[in-house]
Amino acid sequence: MDLVYTPEQQDFRAEVRAWMEANVPKEPLVTLEREDGYHQHVEWERKLASGNWGMVTWPEAYGGRGLDLIQWLIFEEEYYRAGAPLRVNQNGIFLLGPTVMEFGTDEQKARFLTPMAKGEVIWAQAWSEPNAGSDMAAITSKAIRDGDHYVITGQKTWSSRASFADWGFGLFRTDPESKRHKGLSFILFDLNAPGVTRRPIRQLHGDPGFAELFFDEVRVPVENRIAGEGEGWNVAMATAGFERGLMLRSPARFQAAAERLVKLFRQHEAKTAPAAREQVMQAWMDAQAYAYNTYAVASKIMAGGHIGAEASLNKIFWSELDRAAHRTAMQLLGASAELRHLDGGALNMWLEGYIFSLSGPIYAGSNEIQRNIIAERLLGLPR
Amino acid sequence: MDFTITEDQATLTQGVRDYLAGVHTPELLRALDASDSRRSDAVWQGLTEMGLPGLLVPEAQDGLGLSLLDAVLIAAELGRAGVAEPLADTALVAAPLLAKAGGQDALLAAIAAGKAKVALQHPVNPWVADLDGASHILSVKDEALLLADHGGTAELLDSVDPLRRLYAPVAPTGTEVGSADTLLDHAALIASAQLVGIADAMLEQATDYAKNRSQFGQPIGSFQAIKHHLATAVVKIEFAKPVIQRAAVALQKNAASASVHVSHAKIAAADAAWAMSETAIQTHGAMGYTYEVDLHFWMKRAWALSSAWGDRAFHLARIDAAVIGGALPIGPGHSFA
Repeated sequence: MDLVYTPEQQDFRAEVRAWMEANVPKEPLVTLEREDGYHQHVEWERKLASGNWGMVTWPEAYGGRGLDLIQWLIFEEEYYRAGAPLRVNQNGIFLLGPTVMEFGTDEQKARFLTPMAKGEVIWAQAWSEPNAGSDMAAITSKAIRDGDHYVITGQKTWSSRASFADWGFGLFRTDPESKRHKGLSFILFDLNAPGVTRRPIRQLHGDPGFAELFFDEVRVPVENRIAGEGEGWNVAMATAGFERGLMLRSPARFQAAAERLVKLFRQHEAKTAPAAREQVMQAWMDAQAYAYNTYAVASKIMAGGHIGAEASLNKIFWSELDRAAHRTAMQLLGASAELRHLDGGALNMWLEGYIFSLSGPIYAGSNEIQRNIIAERLLGLPR
Repeated sequence: MDFTITEDQATLTQGVRDYLAGVHTPELLRALDASDSRRSDAVWQGLTEMGLPGLLVPEAQDGLGLSLLDAVLIAAELGRAGVAEPLADTALVAAPLLAKAGGQDALLAAIAAGKAKVALQHPVNPWVADLDGASHILSVKDEALLLADHGGTAELLDSVDPLRRLYAPVAPTGTEVGSADTLLDHAALIASAQLVGIADAMLEQATDYAKNRSQFGQPIGSFQAIKHHLATAVVKIEFAKPVIQRAAVALQKNAASASVHVSHAKIAAADAAWAMSETAIQTHGAMGYTYEVDLHFWMKRAWALSSAWGDRAFHLARIDAAVIGGALPIGPGHSFA
C-alpha cells in the first residue's frame, strides 16, 4: 500500500486541470434530459473528444489514451473539481464500451468504440421491459433471425437517454422457444431505424430523461450482436458488473457533493436542526469511504484481480449516501427547498440532485436485488 | 498510488487467523469466563510462540519491525477470535509508540519476548484495561505520555464483557515518552480494527445460524427479511475496512491529518460493529438473548470497544473541527489529504 501519487500521476492531474480550467463552460448547461440541453451536452462530449479526453482508459486506437484506472480516477477528480457537465454518453462509455472491449470483435471495436469516444454517437440503454424490471430474465422482446438480419419486435422501457440518443443496446430473445436466462442475445440497434418508435417519458423532475421504445419488425444486421447468439445474459451481467462496480459513479461526484454540502451547512449553520451537523459529517465520511474503496478496487483490478458480487456492495453504498446527502441539503434549505430556482434565478441544484438521487437505489438493479445478491453470493444463504 | 495489501500481509493475516481459529475457540472463551483471572498463561505463551508480541517491535530488538498497516490487519484477527489477552494494547499500541519514542530498547525486547505487558491509561477512558498483570503502564499527565514500571494490585471494575479486566485509573507518573494524543490515536486505530474483526465474527455466526435454523419448513436464511438485514450489515463492515487501512497509513507517516482519519475509522468501525451486533441478535431470535450461544462474547466486546478510546461524540468533534471548521482540504482530489 502506497497512498501517494507518483510524479507522473501529479503531472497528469495538472494536465487535466489545465485543460478543464480552459474548456469547461462558464455557465451551467441546460439539463441533458431536455432536447436543447441534450444537444449542449453532445457539443461538450465533442469538445472533450477534441482534447482526447473521451475515455482515457481506452487504447489509443479507439480514441482513448491507454491510461490505467488510477489515472481514470484522477481524471474524474479533476472533472468534478472543475464542475464539468454530466456525461451524456455515460451509457456508452462506461457500460457498453467496456462490454464491447471485452466481448466485441476487432471490427465491432473499431466500428462502435471510436465514434463513442469522439462523441459522434450517443448511446441509450434498453434493458427493462414492462414486465421485466428487477426480474430481467423475464424479457420477451424478440429478435428473430432472417438471413443476415434479426427482426426485432417488442417493447423496452425506462430507456435512459433514448428520447434523443442515436443508438441503443439491450437484450433480446433470439430463441423464441427459450425461457429465462437462456436464448437471449446482446444486440446494438440504430434508434432511427425504420420500425423504432420512441415515446419519451417525463421523469419526476418533469423532463423526458428516459423513453419507452416500441420495435415493429426492426431489421438489425447480425454483425450488431455482441458475443454469441444466446450468450446475452452473461454479457449483460458483465455490463451490470461495470455499472455497479466501478465506473458508473466515480467517487469524485460524491466528494464534490459533500464539499458543497459542507459549504451549504456553513451558510445555514445558525438555523439548523441539531442532527444536521452530524448528517453533514456523515456525508463527508461516506464520500471518503467510497473513494478509498474505489481506489482499492481499482488497485486490485490493476494487480490482475476482478470485481464480482462485491459490485453490489458499491451500488448500495453510493446510492444511499447520495440520497442521504441530498436529503440533508433539502433539510438545510428549509422552506426554500421546494423552490425550483434560488436567489439570482439559478436552478436549485440541490432539489434537482435530490430528485435524481431517488433513482439511484432503483436503477442498475434495485438495492433489494443487490441485497439478495450479497446474501446469496457473498454469504452463501439459500435462494 | 496503490491501495492493496501485499501477499506477505495477506499470508501473515491468514496464518494468524488459522492459528487462532484452532486454539482460541468459543470453548476456550467459556473456560476463561468460568475462571477467576479470565486470563490464561497458556494462551499468552501460544501467542508469544507465534511471535505476535514482537510484530511491531523493531528488528534490532528481536521483533519483526512491521507497520501500523500490518497492525490493523492483525488486530482485526484478534477481534475476530475474541482474544481478551492484552496483546493488542501491548504489541500493537505500546510497542510502536515506544519504538517511536526511542531509548526503550530493553522494554521493546521484553515485549517481543512476551515478558513485558504494558497497560494503557488515558483520561478519555474512566478505566485501565489489564492493569493487574501489567509490568509497565503508559499514562497521561498534562498532555504528556509517561512510562512507568507497574506492580501490585489495583481496584477491579466490573465490565459487561466477562473477559475484559478493567481497573480504576492510578496517579500518572513516569518518564515522558510522547504525547497524550499519540496514545489516543494509536489505541483508537487498533480498537477500530478489532471492531471490524468482531463484526466479521458476528456476521459469520449469524449467517451460520440463518443457514441452519429452519422455520416454516425452510432455513430462515432463505427469507429476504433475514437476507436484507445481513446484507445491510455487510455493506457497513466492508466500507469501514478501507477507512481503517487509510488511517493506519496516515498515522504510520505521522501525517498532520492522521487524527481526523483515525476518528473516521473509529466511527465507521463502531457503527458497523454496533449495527452488526443488533442484526446478529435479531437473526438468532430468542437464542441470541441467551448466555448459551457464543454471540454475546463478541457483542459485548463491540459495545465496549465502540466507546473505548473516544466515543462517537469525541471522534465526531474532531471531524467537525477539521471538516466543518475547514482545517482539512475536502472535495475531489483530496482523497488522501
